[in-house]
Amino acid sequence: MMDVGRHPRIKLLAYSEIEHVSGFIGNFNVKVRKKARYVDENDCTACGDCVVDCPVIVPDEYQQGLSSRKAIYIQLPQAVPSAYLIDMDHCLGNNPIACGKCQEACEKKCINFDMEDEILELEVGTIIVATGNEVYDPTELDEFGYRSFENVITSMEFERLICAGGPTEGHFVRPTDHQRPIRIGFIQCVGSRSDNRGNPYCSNICCMNTIKDTLLLNDHYPDTESKVFYIDIRAFGKGFEDMFKRSKEAGVKYIRGIPGDVWEDPVTKNIFLAVEDTTSGKVEVHELDLVVLSVGLEPRKDMKHLQQLLTLSSTADGFLLESHPKLKPVDAPTRGIFYAGCVEAPKDVKESVTQASAAAARASIILNAGKVQIEAITAQINTDECNYCGLCAKVCPYHAITAADRKLGIYPEVIQAACAGCGTCGAECPTDAITMRHFTDFQIMAQVDSILDKDNMDKVVAFACNWCSYAGGDLCGTSRLQYPTNVRLIRTMCSGRVDEKFVIHAFKKGAPLVLVSGCHFADCHYINAVTWTQKRVEKLWNKLERLGIRPERLQLEWISAAEGQKFARVMRELEEMRKKVTPEEVAETIKILEREEAKALEKKAGKAKKAEEALQTA
Amino acid sequence: MAERGKFKCLRCGHEYEDKYTPGVPQERACPKCGSNSVRRIEEKK
Repeated sequence: MMDVGRHPRIKLLAYSEIEHVSGFIGNFNVKVRKKARYVDENDCTACGDCVVDCPVIVPDEYQQGLSSRKAIYIQLPQAVPSAYLIDMDHCLGNNPIACGKCQEACEKKCINFDMEDEILELEVGTIIVATGNEVYDPTELDEFGYRSFENVITSMEFERLICAGGPTEGHFVRPTDHQRPIRIGFIQCVGSRSDNRGNPYCSNICCMNTIKDTLLLNDHYPDTESKVFYIDIRAFGKGFEDMFKRSKEAGVKYIRGIPGDVWEDPVTKNIFLAVEDTTSGKVEVHELDLVVLSVGLEPRKDMKHLQQLLTLSSTADGFLLESHPKLKPVDAPTRGIFYAGCVEAPKDVKESVTQASAAAARASIILNAGKVQIEAITAQINTDECNYCGLCAKVCPYHAITAADRKLGIYPEVIQAACAGCGTCGAECPTDAITMRHFTDFQIMAQVDSILDKDNMDKVVAFACNWCSYAGGDLCGTSRLQYPTNVRLIRTMCSGRVDEKFVIHAFKKGAPLVLVSGCHFADCHYINAVTWTQKRVEKLWNKLERLGIRPERLQLEWISAAEGQKFARVMRELEEMRKKVTPEEVAETIKILEREEAKALEKKAGKAKKAEEALQTA
Repeated sequence: MAERGKFKCLRCGHEYEDKYTPGVPQERACPKCGSNSVRRIEEKK
């Protein structure tokens, strides 16, 4: 951090928050609120004279509340910049100054109660998101007695207690009597791998953190008796298994089972754990001086806000979704934005550093090139057809379309560098004013025509998205899984591209069954374009029903690239459904749709006539 | 706010009740056959 603070080409904006982000790759505009520290960070020498006189004492967040700090403080000794700041929520007041003792004590006169937040506007080419994570609060898990028994602490609190810079200066003591605990128990997976309370995912780091803690204890205090209660130990990674072995060789007992009951001796304040050792099947009771809950990691509470600021999407776990899990693991779906660290998923220091280095390298490639190469598959607006409705800008997952203004006669415009080519705008445009390059309406309709030209009753028309469903079909093929050959796939970049008129056209051409398939919501490669697919299909089901066409003939399926078997199963099921559609039903559908088309044309002609008459009158 | 609604699978015809949030698209799968062709068929009374 010191190097970052001193680097001539790095501008460090500590104690600041992002207010707004606009623009696109290479041209981001970022509005930053630099919060008032009330201490001039350039003049402050961190002498600490102000702290001595400050009368306000509050729990120290950095020390997990195990010690206190003053209202004027430095968050941690290694903080950069090394300058104090005033916590105005707890300070006795600056308006009017009710105390001012810190100001009197400061020889350098760098305390200024009139300091205000500063808004900075930055022009940047790329953004790296490294906002980290939060730690699970186990208070809700009352079976472990956290907050009920003082000698039950979290792994974060353990870190502070054993750290030389911690509240006890590295003297490891338990909270109740400040004596060194000899018998210490670690409970694993607290808040992780649980569908009921906490989080369903594995937090990745907790097993190795506990193993490291047991070795640390053994190193500092060889007479410590450590016991680890676990579901299974996940010691993958370079040197991790070796570290686990060392811990066992050092005498740490690993007991496979999570305690079901925890209670405290009211006199000694020792903690008792009842646990079933699943290797022996016996229920055991362990008396311990201190229990450490190995808590998992969680996404930050303000993750939704961050997502909105940067136009990002998240996985079901709440962490940010990468552009591609294998090929672009540090890229965000929005071009020019990269991830580093636990904002993307729980990871340890080594992985975080690796990802940060990769993100920096990815960003520097763009910055050094000075220009970006974009895919040719982008949207284009035909202003002659546009009616300024603004729907395209509303549905664009990337905010790549500027807003239209009918009164000012401003047409929407596609920012080509920001457009990812999902085609949702093209599918939603009510006047067909948007052309998706390489996936035009004409090209897709021609494919539908070609499929249904001959033996239409034997075909199932399936629209499949490029990244998931089509790839699922590929996997199905390469895995040599059998599925009926009646299905004809039409590839679109995203299922969001599937226009209502493609489906109607297929039915009009005699398709017995149509399938729209795309990525699972959590896998959508175009942030949230898949949600528009769902909305559109639901609208289509209603429309078909209204027209007297069975909605069942339009099927929807989310198939991932890894679901080759699902692809085959769905195709087999569709084939069974197709067999039940009679030629009479298809003929009736064609009649209904042709009638509807005639009506629509009549309506359009009427409107055009009226407009012409109005023009002549004018 | 989540509400309860009636859903029908357009693959196997299974009807069931589930929670949903109006206006918020959600990935659904039929509890019987696993199909994603699930349609809400009734407004909440």
